[in-house]
Amino acid sequence: MARVKNCFVIPGTFDEAGFTKSLKELALRFEAAESAGNFDILDCHDQSLRASVKILIQTDGSLFLLRGGRAETQRCKGKGKFVQELPDGPVKAGLAGFPKLRALMSVGTGRASHRSFAILGDLQKTQVRGTMMLMSSDQGQVTVVTVQHMRGYDRANKTVCEKLTKLEGGKSKAKPLFDWLFPDATIYKAKPEIRVSKQEPSIEVAADIIRTYLAVARQNEAGVIDDIDTEFLHDYRVSLRRVRSVISLFKGVLSPEQTTALKREFSGLMEPTGRARDLDVYLLEKDSYFNLIPSNLHEGAVAMFGQFEKERSQALGRLSRLFRTQNYDNQMKKLTELFADPTNLQPGPNADRPAYEYARALIWKRYRKTCKLARGITPNTPDEAVHNLRIDCKKLRYLMEFFAPLFDAKAFKTIIKPLKKLQDNLGLFNDFSVQQEALLSFVKQHTNMQGRADAQLALSVGGLISVLDQRQLAERDRVIASFKHFDSPDIRHLFRSLFHQKEG
Amino acid sequence: MKIIACYSNKGGVGKTATSVNLAHAYAAAGHSVLLCDLDPQGASGFYLRVKPSKKLTDATFFEDVARFTKSIRASDFEGLDVLPANMTFRDFDVFLSRMRNKRSRLKKALISAGSDYEVIILDCPPNFSTLSENIFKAADQIVVPVIPTTLSERSFDQLVGFFDTNKLSKKKLTAFFSMVQQRKTLHLETMDAMRKLYRKRFLHSSIPFAADIERMGQNRAPVSEFAPRSAASLAYQKLYDEMENGVVSKR
Repeated sequence: MARVKNCFVIPGTFDEAGFTKSLKELALRFEAAESAGNFDILDCHDQSLRASVKILIQTDGSLFLLRGGRAETQRCKGKGKFVQELPDGPVKAGLAGFPKLRALMSVGTGRASHRSFAILGDLQKTQVRGTMMLMSSDQGQVTVVTVQHMRGYDRANKTVCEKLTKLEGGKSKAKPLFDWLFPDATIYKAKPEIRVSKQEPSIEVAADIIRTYLAVARQNEAGVIDDIDTEFLHDYRVSLRRVRSVISLFKGVLSPEQTTALKREFSGLMEPTGRARDLDVYLLEKDSYFNLIPSNLHEGAVAMFGQFEKERSQALGRLSRLFRTQNYDNQMKKLTELFADPTNLQPGPNADRPAYEYARALIWKRYRKTCKLARGITPNTPDEAVHNLRIDCKKLRYLMEFFAPLFDAKAFKTIIKPLKKLQDNLGLFNDFSVQQEALLSFVKQHTNMQGRADAQLALSVGGLISVLDQRQLAERDRVIASFKHFDSPDIRHLFRSLFHQKEG
Repeated sequence: MKIIACYSNKGGVGKTATSVNLAHAYAAAGHSVLLCDLDPQGASGFYLRVKPSKKLTDATFFEDVARFTKSIRASDFEGLDVLPANMTFRDFDVFLSRMRNKRSRLKKALISAGSDYEVIILDCPPNFSTLSENIFKAADQIVVPVIPTTLSERSFDQLVGFFDTNKLSKKKLTAFFSMVQQRKTLHLETMDAMRKLYRKRFLHSSIPFAADIERMGQNRAPVSEFAPRSAASLAYQKLYDEMENGVVSKR
């Protein structure tokens, strides 16, 4: 029978005496049995549950989801799992919308002790039932009380809920359970806010951005090593790519020698991550690959994905071994130190240009270049041009994001939206072409000396390639359409007014 | 939904104890159960510490679904709710027809409140009346506790006779021996004789005469809650098993 459970988060331990006194004619009775164990607060790395004011707790084999004053429980474990892998139940239902690519991991742990209680009326009849869980971490304590309404005893339920609300402390209710237990925890953000001011020398902006993203990259290392989910490596790579793009796009901010040296160094850091990420992408797309081809061609694809899985675990193994070496750690530490203070850097001719003026010049130039390239694309231009457009759009987007705090947020949103759409199409176009190449080279690798490939494999791959090629063609048309939208008079005007017109 | 009436035309045969313990056994097995106290003495509510609802004496009561659902009380046991009241024949008539009708407002209100009862157990008053006649028609099963004595035998004969004259289905009648004292020759002889006479009507399980059952009044709880290993508790469990699953224990 579905029963409503209200839930209360009370800071510290529970004041049993005070609570009993406030209940007047009702009596509080604890069940004798008490159990204690460890708890884990589960969330993904970027704490999307916490951001949506939910909290998921795992204690000895049960999941416990608190949201909006309600509690849901489900008997299963969640640590290390993806939400879609959980058995169906109220907790899984309550977690709808959780990122599909993110695994549940422990973001805080401690001891929990459970007690059940009953609130008795006259005749010693149970009128309200509930549970109490005292959670203790190294930094704090919190009591989670759930109350189960019993049919026909509305008044007692109301009284108990009112008293517990009072104990929650009214205003402090806004403070989530996590903050009581882990006040000092640092919350991971894949895209932290970076302050930029208009007159700030460009070299300082560059140092700020690089320092920030180096730190983001480092926060993902442990997740890659533990192989929690594929997003750690992805975020790691995105962060380093941002660093690299600052170095290459902020022209003349650093000395040419240092620019070259740093470019080489960051490319070196990216290089060993590439293969593992590619394989991650193939494996994530596994189901959709199987949907692309008829089931009588599946046999070869099964073998191919088996091979991918094997190769992926090898690639990731190599990478995590690398992450654990002293050399790697030293290299990252040195880089972090280098960007800690802009005076450590070798300035180039543009180092002291004020950020705003510099940003406008950079973005305007990149925008014009991108548009020139895009306008030249017709159904007959080679794929190469489309690939170049993808890279240019990416550079434009990075520049705009780095300097976004300097510009009107609303106008920025208006121009980023069609750019994003265009980039999505370009991304798909690129994926389809890269995937075809990868499939072809996979078959080549698995071809014997006489040039014969396994028939099942060749059939599957052949089927896939023809579908992917069709899709790539279709996507190309969409790229042209999306660009037309991006190149509309309104957007053009906005670009001009934001980045080119003389300030009045 | 299944309606089980616990009925006897003779008083003091352990009818209320049967209703309460059986309802508890059904709930413990995971069914959602509503125990309706139709007996004006309201003893099953007493056993479960649920006070009779004042509202039920109100004549307009059954026209108001919300007030009906409100008078249902949760017992202390998961899955077992109680309607702590005695109903008139008219009330009961309406009540049963609405419980049977999936689209009635009452049924919808219960479903939306999360209590779509699978089993309804009726603790019936000990007489022949329009109410009992209605119960005989509406119930899926009529459980009759019979003390193996001459007087009870006579009452059971009357009950079967009533079913015959009123052309009611005797298949619904499920009798069992209650308050059995194995030391009494009379009990054993009566049981033998009645089992022969009503071969298909009697369950194999029987409930012994036990102090633990009488102590329900002091403990105000089902036997298996305060004396889980007692002979009485085991006997009720067997009764449930046989009724629900047709399991007959050898002993």
